[in-house]
Amino acid sequence: MSNDTGPDDTRVILQGEGICKGFPGVWEHLILDHINIDVRVGEIHTLLGENGAGKTVIANCLSGFYSLTEGQIYVKGQPVYLKSPKDGLSHRIGMVHQELALVKPFTVAENIAIGLSGYNFSFPLREVENRVRELSKRYNMHIDPTARIEDLSAGEQQRAEIIKVLYHDPEILILDEPTSLISVDAQHLFEVLHNMAKMGYGILFITHKIEEALEMGDRVTVLRLGKLMGTRKSSETDKDELVRLMFGEHEPAQLKRKTVRSERIVFEVQNLEAAGMDEEPALCGVSFSIREGEIFGIAGVSGNGQSELAEVVTGLRHASGGRVLIEGKDFTNSSPQKIIKAGIAHIPEMRREVGVIEAMTVAENVILKDVRIPPFSKRSFLNIPYITNHTEKIVASFGAIVSDLWKTPTRILSGGNIQRLILGRETWRRPRFIVAAYPTQGLDAKAIEHTWELFMELRETGTSFLLISEDLDEIMALGDRIAVMSQGNIIKVLDGVDAKREEIGMLITTGH
Amino acid sequence: MSLAYLFIGIFTGSLHAMVPITLTATGETVGESAGLFNIGLEGIILLSAMTGALGAEAWGAFMGLVTGLATGFAMGLIFGLINTYFKGVQLITGVGINLAAIGMVAFWLIHLGVPGHHAVPKESQLVNISTAIGNISPMILVTIALPVIVWILLFRTKLGLKIRAVGENPQAADVAGINVHLLRLFSTAAGASLAGLAGAYISVAWMGSVTKEISAGRGFIALATVVFSGLNPLLVLLGGFIFGFFENLAVWISTMPAVQSVVPWQLISMAPYIVTLLIVAGVIGRVRFPAAMGTPYMRE
Repeated sequence: MSNDTGPDDTRVILQGEGICKGFPGVWEHLILDHINIDVRVGEIHTLLGENGAGKTVIANCLSGFYSLTEGQIYVKGQPVYLKSPKDGLSHRIGMVHQELALVKPFTVAENIAIGLSGYNFSFPLREVENRVRELSKRYNMHIDPTARIEDLSAGEQQRAEIIKVLYHDPEILILDEPTSLISVDAQHLFEVLHNMAKMGYGILFITHKIEEALEMGDRVTVLRLGKLMGTRKSSETDKDELVRLMFGEHEPAQLKRKTVRSERIVFEVQNLEAAGMDEEPALCGVSFSIREGEIFGIAGVSGNGQSELAEVVTGLRHASGGRVLIEGKDFTNSSPQKIIKAGIAHIPEMRREVGVIEAMTVAENVILKDVRIPPFSKRSFLNIPYITNHTEKIVASFGAIVSDLWKTPTRILSGGNIQRLILGRETWRRPRFIVAAYPTQGLDAKAIEHTWELFMELRETGTSFLLISEDLDEIMALGDRIAVMSQGNIIKVLDGVDAKREEIGMLITTGH
Repeated sequence: MSLAYLFIGIFTGSLHAMVPITLTATGETVGESAGLFNIGLEGIILLSAMTGALGAEAWGAFMGLVTGLATGFAMGLIFGLINTYFKGVQLITGVGINLAAIGMVAFWLIHLGVPGHHAVPKESQLVNISTAIGNISPMILVTIALPVIVWILLFRTKLGLKIRAVGENPQAADVAGINVHLLRLFSTAAGASLAGLAGAYISVAWMGSVTKEISAGRGFIALATVVFSGLNPLLVLLGGFIFGFFENLAVWISTMPAVQSVVPWQLISMAPYIVTLLIVAGVIGRVRFPAAMGTPYMRE
């Protein structure tokens, strides 16, 4: 590697041309749609996009973990065909995954050793440990090779993962959202990466944070829904342009909307606190209230407490502090059954795991919540004709296609059809309040439009919504008021009609 | 009989009883370290006792042991294939092996003459080595050496690291370039072959006969021994000896006339199994199994 490389160096070390990727089972759209991207010697190239834009997919393609549906990868100008991560490594492409690929009870050295080729009955731990110490020094990333992964902090674990990749002496480094796990150590990581760029590495850095992309990258490429939106030199662009590229410019569908008539508050959340998956605080004092016939939208990148909020409000997660009030009555930490009886419908985020019972038939899933109520059952016996009739109506109204209502296990339905089933089930009674988490995920454009119209219609009759979505179009089209959540807090509530797309986008990605 | 004779007798008896349990458990340690939990060990021992006996009668004692080993290997391959490449359920496959073995051996015994029992002729049995403390089967020496060898394999070689990686975090192993399915298959087949050897030992070198229940639950005791050992082969040796001791003791006590008149022998023969239960109950909470044990690996 030459010593005088810099961001202006035009030697391209890694290039992807016309890369397409489709996944079997997902034929609505290509996961990657003709992406052209290149990384130069000595540059840090950031790849920017929302969740679901395809950033991790393209990174996996470039490192050999995924195969390409179409397109070609070039390393130093030569076309290469990567069939596995080992192929990637043999072409000196190393990837640091977002979900660390480490064996927790093993030491750092052992984790590296399992990936080494060579005689299986050898035990090269000493050499590995020594080399790790060398690498630690060279890249100024201190890690103890004899430490067990499970004893290390998140930042140290990530360093271990990076050293593991560096051990194979790559020339190209791809990092997938490296700062999502570490916040404090981020600065140190940035220094290390800058040093490595100076040494001549080509670095592809994936993130969804705009400021990071501008700070780290010499060039920034924006992806949106699998499509390439543009590549800019970071010195020649700014936050606003990047927001526009990331979130788009078009006007959302204009839905006819009468202003919210009622001032009566039907739902309120006060200072809600709750812990998340791994005992970390997920909700840190969330407060808001929702009026009758109002759609309250919550925007933001998922992972900032939205899931936990939906779960606490529907009784699926314990709230450690604060209150949930339905029509003024305290339902904090009530059982889901009581909350359902109080008139709350739930369209859950995890439709397959939480929304339906996959092993049960379509008819059984449709009556899941109503089964005890006559005329669905009479004195402990199911009223089959009534249920069949009811299910047929629901399935038809949503245009879902199901062969046999009483025999088809719900598992075999497509995600979109399952979502339609859930929507039908939750809305047919015209409930007073609906908690909808990512309600149109996986639906095609027509179904999304249909759903939005349904929501607006329910809204007219007085149903209120807590709508959680990552789709900015959806939030802006439906929300009477829009709140942005970040790190367990609501950072701002905007009026739905007046809110500007860029303003929301800025709040989402920068947190202020 | 002097006390010394007594203790030596008990000691050597325990060594003999230790062999099938330790062998099987050592093999299962390898399989479980890779993430596959083989509850079919009992069936493998039973089946290999049968095939080992037949092999010994046809080709001599040593080949009898080899036949048993090969039977175990074959069953291990079947178990492994179903539970790796075909993404099966390990528990069900194991139970299936147990049931199949019971049926096969019972049926076979009918064909060989006396239903339910088949005696292995003396010439076909493994010859014991005469030592100062009585006759010792050479298999005992093998049984002491194997856990040590397996320990070195699992904890002092790169292959052992890979096996354990595959049991702990198959995704990480996959990313590191390891062929997860192949390694799991190999580990479980190798482990099961030791169970096969154990079965052959019972019929060819120890009891000298084959019955429908010759395995006598030793496959399950071996599983308990694996739990007890925390997947450390050296502790398997210890555990195997403890269980072998109790098993031998139970047999010995129940033959003492003083005891026979007071306690029915059935109660005494329960003892080793109860001891197993107690030890496992005491240990089970504290033992750490590989994180990905029991689940098939599917690459996204």
